[in-house]
Order: sequence, then structure tokens, then C-alpha cells
Amino acid sequence: MIKYFVKLRFYPGDPLEEIKEKDLKSFEKDYGVNISYERIENREMRDGLLMERTLDKRIEDVSQEIITLSSDKEDNFSNCIIALYKKYRCPRTPYSLMGSNDAGQKIAKRLMDAHGGW
Amino acid sequence: MKVLGLNGSFRKNGNTEILLKRALMGAESEGAEVELLRLTDYKIQPCRGCGLCLFRENVCQVQDDDVSFIFSKVDGCDGMLLGAPCYFLELTAVVKQLIDRCWILGHKIGKIKKPATVIIPYATRGWTPYVSVQSNILLNVMGLTKINEITVCTQGISEVVLDDEAMDLAYRLGKEIAVAIRKKDFTYKGEAGICPSCRDWLLRILKDNETVECPTCGVRGKLSIIDGKISVQFEEKAWADSRFRPEAQYNHFTYHIAPSKDYFLRTKEERKIKTQKFKEYLTT
Repeated sequence: MIKYFVKLRFYPGDPLEEIKEKDLKSFEKDYGVNISYERIENREMRDGLLMERTLDKRIEDVSQEIITLSSDKEDNFSNCIIALYKKYRCPRTPYSLMGSNDAGQKIAKRLMDAHGGW
Repeated sequence: MKVLGLNGSFRKNGNTEILLKRALMGAESEGAEVELLRLTDYKIQPCRGCGLCLFRENVCQVQDDDVSFIFSKVDGCDGMLLGAPCYFLELTAVVKQLIDRCWILGHKIGKIKKPATVIIPYATRGWTPYVSVQSNILLNVMGLTKINEITVCTQGISEVVLDDEAMDLAYRLGKEIAVAIRKKDFTYKGEAGICPSCRDWLLRILKDNETVECPTCGVRGKLSIIDGKISVQFEEKAWADSRFRPEAQYNHFTYHIAPSKDYFLRTKEERKIKTQKFKEYLTT
């Protein structure tokens, strides 16, 4: 069983840079971790704005980009999270780590304050 | 054409009100219909943080005050002059109280196109570092576009009438806003400032020790010293990151706030159990 597992949920407008799968592959290689990427897109163009009704949706069904990161090594896991936060900044909301395991969530949350909470 | 003066000072015919009235006279000279509201004449209850305005759209639980009346006046004007004094480094509490009640306006994001000018009397030079923060927040959450802002150094009640330059300037600002409404030209005409979005001079150094940010707008850039002068380079995309752009505000409401309802409902039982001891502790 994987020791550290985290889901970083970025909502539209959250990442300062476009999340590209090829960049995530580089992170995966550089830090010796496992990374997967999922994009959920439910927005529609209305009045010139990409819009979506999110009020009564499940958090998992709202438009978002999810970077899933896992590793058995704490250092690799932490360093990769720091690098991701540096590139994209950290996710913004209190529920943006939903679906993570406890060990992974604790690290990701602590690093938000230290490296990307601003 | 209607120009509303919104006064954040308690004092009747104090410096703020005099400057606002002088500006309104200027607007009137350009054909504007003018009105003055003194915020402290109205009941503005604190926001209760209930979230109803966010989750049930346009429903505010606080009904026994005058905030909806104030909002209707802002709705009904074509341009606004905001005046508020600086007592302790920032604007008066009534302005902040009104800002907190502006959540309900989040549903109107991007739909309002009106200019606004800010007039801030203060007493001691150097004691004004945060005065633009509240005014910028209030105008942004109300959807108004700032076209000018001035601070005026003056102290005792009504002393500003002795300052001919300030009085003339206020008059010109009133004319300026009326012209802006007429020409539909909301170009910023004030001091450039540092932030390309709100024009404030404040900067925040981020924890990476590499990036600076306008604390109000969230616009980020890099600091450098050129010929001994501090300079900030904001990338083109920094504008896109301003938290008060209509798209950014829309995203904030849609993706940071609205989905929290799901989380709130999911954690209901756990919260109920864990909050019990706090309900029973130090009951008042």
C-alpha cells in the first residue's frame, strides 16, 4: 500500500501556469514519484464567459484539474509537492485535497503554508 | 446623469463632507443630478457570515437595516464619489462594515460599468499606508471603476475650506466624473501608483523572496533596482491574475465558494459531534 497519496484539486483560474502533462512527466521523473492527471470540464460559454452552475454539485464533479501524486518516500513526495506549488501555486480551497490519504494530506497542507499558502 | 456621494465620515460638514460636497458641485456644473449619503446616518449591521447570499443567491438574512437601501442608491447612480477619512492608517470602520455586506453583490459581477473617484482627508503625513485598500475593495466588489483618487492633508473639523487648492481639486474631480459618465470614458486619471490594476503603492513580499504582489489585487511581479530606483516588473499575464477582474471574481464565487456547500453538507454529522463541547463551554 502506498504510504503518501494526495490529490491536488485546481479549479479554473487557480494555477498560475497551464498544467501540461509533459511537465508532470518531468516532475515524475525528477522526483521519483507517481503522478497522474485528470481534467474535468463542465463549463459552457455564456455571455462571453465560461460559466458553470456549481452550487449543488459534488466537489468531484465541478470543473477542475486534479494532479494525483503518490510515493512511499516522504522526501521525494514533499520535494515534488514543493516544486508543483512553485510552478502552479498551491490549490486554493479548504477542500482541494479531498480524496487524499491522511499522511499525504498532512504533508501537502503543511507545505501549502510554508511554500504556497500565499 | 446621477452622481452619488457616499460619505464614510460621521462628522456633518466635516472635511470629508465638505470635499464631497465641493466635488458634487463640480459634477452638478456638468449637468449631473447629485445626491449625498452619509453612511453613519444609516444602520449597517455586521455581516453574519451565514452564507445565504452566496448559497441562495440574493437572499440576505439581515433585513433590519439600511444596506439594501444604500445598494439601491449605488445601483441607481451613474457614477460615485466615495469620501472617507483616515483616522488610524486606514479608512473608517463603517466602510469596512459595508464591504463585508457586499458578498451579495457577487452575483452582479461584470454587469456594472460605472466610474468612481475617491477622496480621503487625513491629518498626519505618513499615517495613510492602507487608505487605498478599503476604497479599492469597496469599489471593486461594487463593480465600480476607479478613475481617480486623492488624499488631502487637513486636520481640524472643516479646516479644509482654508485649503483653496484642495477645494479646487475636489471641484475638478466632480466635473471629471460627470464628463467620464457622459463620454463613457473610464480611463484612470490619477497618480500612477505601483499596482497596474488598483494603482496603490503597497506591495507584499511573498515567501519565495522573489515575487512581490499587490495585496489587494493579487497582481504579481518582480522587484528590481534600476539606477537606484525601486521598480516592479509586472508580466502581461499579471493583469489576468487580478482577483477583481470579472472572470476572476466569477471563478472565486463559482469554484471557491459555491462548492463548499457540498463539503459543508458532507461533514454535517462529524461537525455536530465535534462542536458539541464548544457549545457547552463558556456559554453566554
